[in-house]
Amino acid sequence: MIHVYGIVDELDSLPPLEGVGDAPLARRRIGDLELVVSETPRDEVTQEAVLRHAEVVEGLMTHSRAVLPAQFSRPFADGEELASAVSAKAPELAESLSRVRGCVELGLRVVAPASESSPSAESGAEYLRARLDDERRRSRLIADIDEPLARLSQATAGARATGNVFERAYLVREEDLSAFLDTVRELETEHPELALACTGPWPPYSFGAEAGQ
Amino acid sequence: MSMDQRPDLRQQVTLLELVDRVLNKGVVLSGDITLSVADVDLVYVGLRVLLSSVATLEEQGMPVAIGDALR
Repeated sequence: MIHVYGIVDELDSLPPLEGVGDAPLARRRIGDLELVVSETPRDEVTQEAVLRHAEVVEGLMTHSRAVLPAQFSRPFADGEELASAVSAKAPELAESLSRVRGCVELGLRVVAPASESSPSAESGAEYLRARLDDERRRSRLIADIDEPLARLSQATAGARATGNVFERAYLVREEDLSAFLDTVRELETEHPELALACTGPWPPYSFGAEAGQ
Repeated sequence: MSMDQRPDLRQQVTLLELVDRVLNKGVVLSGDITLSVADVDLVYVGLRVLLSSVATLEEQGMPVAIGDALR
């Protein structure tokens, strides 16, 4: 079975690493795309395998012009199955690969303060108004954080708001990275009421073929 | 929680963000994944716990910025 790490552009050489289960890494060309793969005996997900996958993807970042990391998924039965899966998506994959060239991904999670509306509001209407105010205040806060960061990005993905947690991934050109991180620090200072967790720079995991605008 | 514990928290947040990316993001080439639901739930429980830790640190006047966690 074949495990896929990612699709690479102008890989100078394989990184000096072993793949999942200590299997040697290999290059495989399918049409115009080049993949980095290894043989794997099992379709098992362990923390060790996940970390090894991530390590290989990081290694590919330093040895190529661009990497489109593959999701850790069921291994392919053989080269034929892999080739037909990749060929079916080749145009989108090539487009995504060129989009992430020269870019890294930054992850952001924002924890907004808990609701200020009192649960003991006197009437239903008052309660609803308070809830609505709360929602507006929260979306304004999120926009205050998101807009300046999105301006420094080539693309954003995975916007998700769950309760009082907002998360998003930003695709940032390497030359814009320090400006992006400076802006995160400024936003933290401007918004002491929010907890910001910015992680990265990551390989562009969130900007594959399906990733939106 | 003391300042000394912050690097630990950073590492944990970074690890969970990493696992989340490898398992849930990345370009999908094959149709299905074999993760058991239990594994995925664990990752999310971990993230929720960490987010509340982040909020707690913030309340205690320790802003959390982990932009350079991987450097």
